[in-house]
Amino acid sequence: MAAFEPVLLRNRGVEQSTTLKVYESRGGYQGVRKALKQTPDEVVEEVKNANLRGRGGAGFPAGVKWSFLPKDRTRTLLCVNADESEPPTFCNRILMETDPHQLIEGTIIAGFATQSQTAYIYLRVEFHEQFHIVQKAVEEAYAAGYLGKKIFGSEYSLDIYVHRGAGAYVCGEETGLIESLEGKRGWPRIKPPFPAVEGLFGQPTVVNNVETLSCLPHILERGAEWFTSIGPDHSAGPKLFCVSGPVKNPGCYEGPMTISVRDLIERNDLGGGMRDGKKVKCVLPGGVSMGALSVDELDMKLDFADPRNYGLLGLGTAAAVVIDESVDMRMVLQNLARFYGTESCGQCTQCREGTSWMYKIATRIASGAGRISDLDLLLETARNMGMMPGYSICGLPDGATYPIETIIKKFRPELEASINAQAPGKAEALFTVLN
Amino acid sequence: MAKIIIDGQEVECRDNIPVLQAAVDAGWDVPHYCYHPGLSIAASCRLCLMEMKMPHPQTKEMGWAPKLMPSCQTPAREGMEVRFATEKVQQNQKNCMEFFLLNHPLDCPVCDQAGECHLQDYSYKFGDPESRMVDQKLKNPKKDIGPNTLLYSDRCVMCTRCVRFTDEVSGTHELGLVNRGSRLEIDVFPGLPLDNPMQGNVVDICPVGCLLDKDFLFQRRVWELSTASSICPGCATGCAIRVDHADDKVYRLKPRYNPGINDWWMCDEGRYGFKYIEDSKRVTSPIVRRGLDATSPEWADIPEIVQFRFEQHVRENGGEKLAAVLSPFMSCEEGWLLIEFMRETAPECTLVMGPVPMEGDDQSFPVGATGDKVKFTILNEKCPNRRGVEMLLEAAGGNQCSFDEFVEKAGGGSFTAAWIVGGYPKEWVSKELNKATGKIDLLVVQDLLQNSLMTSAAFVFPACSWAEREGSFVNAGGQIQPFDWATNPPEGGRRDGQYLYEIAGYAGLYNGERVRKLMAAKIPAFKEIHEPPVRPVHAH
Repeated sequence: MAAFEPVLLRNRGVEQSTTLKVYESRGGYQGVRKALKQTPDEVVEEVKNANLRGRGGAGFPAGVKWSFLPKDRTRTLLCVNADESEPPTFCNRILMETDPHQLIEGTIIAGFATQSQTAYIYLRVEFHEQFHIVQKAVEEAYAAGYLGKKIFGSEYSLDIYVHRGAGAYVCGEETGLIESLEGKRGWPRIKPPFPAVEGLFGQPTVVNNVETLSCLPHILERGAEWFTSIGPDHSAGPKLFCVSGPVKNPGCYEGPMTISVRDLIERNDLGGGMRDGKKVKCVLPGGVSMGALSVDELDMKLDFADPRNYGLLGLGTAAAVVIDESVDMRMVLQNLARFYGTESCGQCTQCREGTSWMYKIATRIASGAGRISDLDLLLETARNMGMMPGYSICGLPDGATYPIETIIKKFRPELEASINAQAPGKAEALFTVLN
Repeated sequence: MAKIIIDGQEVECRDNIPVLQAAVDAGWDVPHYCYHPGLSIAASCRLCLMEMKMPHPQTKEMGWAPKLMPSCQTPAREGMEVRFATEKVQQNQKNCMEFFLLNHPLDCPVCDQAGECHLQDYSYKFGDPESRMVDQKLKNPKKDIGPNTLLYSDRCVMCTRCVRFTDEVSGTHELGLVNRGSRLEIDVFPGLPLDNPMQGNVVDICPVGCLLDKDFLFQRRVWELSTASSICPGCATGCAIRVDHADDKVYRLKPRYNPGINDWWMCDEGRYGFKYIEDSKRVTSPIVRRGLDATSPEWADIPEIVQFRFEQHVRENGGEKLAAVLSPFMSCEEGWLLIEFMRETAPECTLVMGPVPMEGDDQSFPVGATGDKVKFTILNEKCPNRRGVEMLLEAAGGNQCSFDEFVEKAGGGSFTAAWIVGGYPKEWVSKELNKATGKIDLLVVQDLLQNSLMTSAAFVFPACSWAEREGSFVNAGGQIQPFDWATNPPEGGRRDGQYLYEIAGYAGLYNGERVRKLMAAKIPAFKEIHEPPVRPVHAH
């Protein structure tokens, strides 16, 4: 297979890649110049033709999202979702660290396409260094006249504000992000109204992920046709993949969405195989929320369609965590449940109570006081939560249940064996203490 | 109006009201916590989920959507079809009830809310009797959040009604949320307690035992309380209230739904303003004086004595020497009976409107709102029936004067007989009035609390608090609102209406509604009575 020519990460490793000078010298700010010579509708059309699907996790086509904005709107706001709070995911972080001007250029293009006058880049609070990099780049762009009034001699003006959140997983959900930006508690909103109609400060709002926006300069510069030529039809364009865990080269890589999980772990230009002769036991391929794969399922393609065939929620953030054979799945279960138990915002009953209940059960199983029936209880609790059956306002509980469900389904023999190997009577003894 | 189909039955409702409201109005018992008609929609308790018919995304054919929809958030539209009586909906209700109780301490035996708790009711109706939770419960703390309110966060169901109340109705924003997930708690900001004139409502709208009123805390089990429909006498707004009482003691006041007047709310001034009922200075038995001789005759003998003394006085001094001071705390019926008696005895007697207590300025809520945005107003006119008494006086015509003129004329000796009605919950007799009444030979004082006029009065009649009386008040908006009695007068006392009824020459038992009819026959303005609609059984 021919080596993939990096698109989004083409400036990685280049000296001073975060500066405007280097970015421009390497062909930056050409896409936006091209875009501003077209009409906004033409830009939207181009992005639709490129079939650019949102990189934030849900994979919703960006151009279609923009076209939900009401035609008679007077004001539009653009939010850049740089909250990237999904565990093992650091695509946006790399993009902002290496190429903040690419993001700014993409933001201007999206802003122009949606006719937004203001854009907010919402960073999670933990992105401390990245905040300064992006902030500096924004200042540089203002100084060069690339932001502010009449950008590149066109009639279009855009202001960008860089805003930092206060540290909550749920603020990556678009309406949670909007609430947080408004200075409120980051509770996802009830929909309708959708943000495209009534979003930030009650105005029509578009929320796009950093990686999605970073694709825009290249689409505009090289055309939709070039973009769709990369990867399969339903998953066009370059994508960043992260791999972490006991692989030889953990990190963030770029490629077409034709690679499989096995490729990501084993290919020399990607993960480079397992470290210290370890063997893969389980992979959580899309951030942790999409669910788990067993060792027999590593041929899953990392695109927008294939994960469903493996019982996963979707592609997610395409950030794989590799778990090797030395790890006890009970601990994995507990660790995952803990994350959602502490990150549930607490708004909807099922998620608020369900996630922490799952954590309690998983903790008990991990401590060696589990019952076989606890596995079924976990599965049932998982089924009683989630946005897809209508039980909650946002998708967080779906993400909370998929890893738990898939691990129990795919690793049940191991979990049962661990429970059966417990010291007899330990579970029963625990109940007498607690009750 | 829209016609929607709920569980196969056609229901008519106003366009665009929440389907939940339409269902509850039509008698469905749909469990809900976060929804309250007076607050914005949160759709977070997820108890009221329903199935709904929607067009298929591809075929456009109408069918039951696989996803459950929150009925509180879905507006009712003509022709829509929803259902609650399905396994899916009921299973969700069951699941929710299990989730709500996971960390609940199940301390009903010591919880004030027990008996009127929607966690109890819904668990019983929709939940499973057994919990599968075997792990340690999370114990969120009990907090003192203000001078009148306690917050037991372990009992909270996170409906956020109280938070939305302080944001949207009182406009004072004291309450907020801290922490996340199941550690989420309602709380106040440090140093800023829940202390606004409307705060008591958060206890009313709390569907569970999380927010409790310190005033009622551990006072009585709610199932021992009886309730009477009443009108708050605290100010001229005329909030419809419920008087909850047991053993002839008033335990608490709660607002009654009264759209356009107090909606679902009442203020703290009214809520805690009933304590004077048990004031130690209450007058309980009648006193009749002739010279230095004071007796406390049987109630049955009183009408005759009063009538005789007044007739004798008119014969000797003339009718124009007679005056009656009516109080804005009297009910319309009592005022009418007194006027009937006075004018019967002496048609030329003078009628006087007693002092109308005013305090400060009107207070509107949400704080800072004006015009249409105002949701509740506490008026500075601190009496319930100024309008009603004025309507009576207008209809009565004849000789009338203001209270100040009365004091002046009485001081100048213009009146030799007067009937002065008080009923004010605070000391109200001025030095001038006290001095002026010295010139009145035949003085009747009808009052709630002992005052200086009583020492020289020929007759002292105990007035009752509004909770012991029945009749109607006319509020500042001109609505005539009837109220029932809750408790009996203190021992030895008798309801004002009863003795006035007898003194005015009627026989038998006083009945507010009957007197109202008699009154309305003579004064047409009293024909139209305002009675708030009864809220549907399953609403809360």
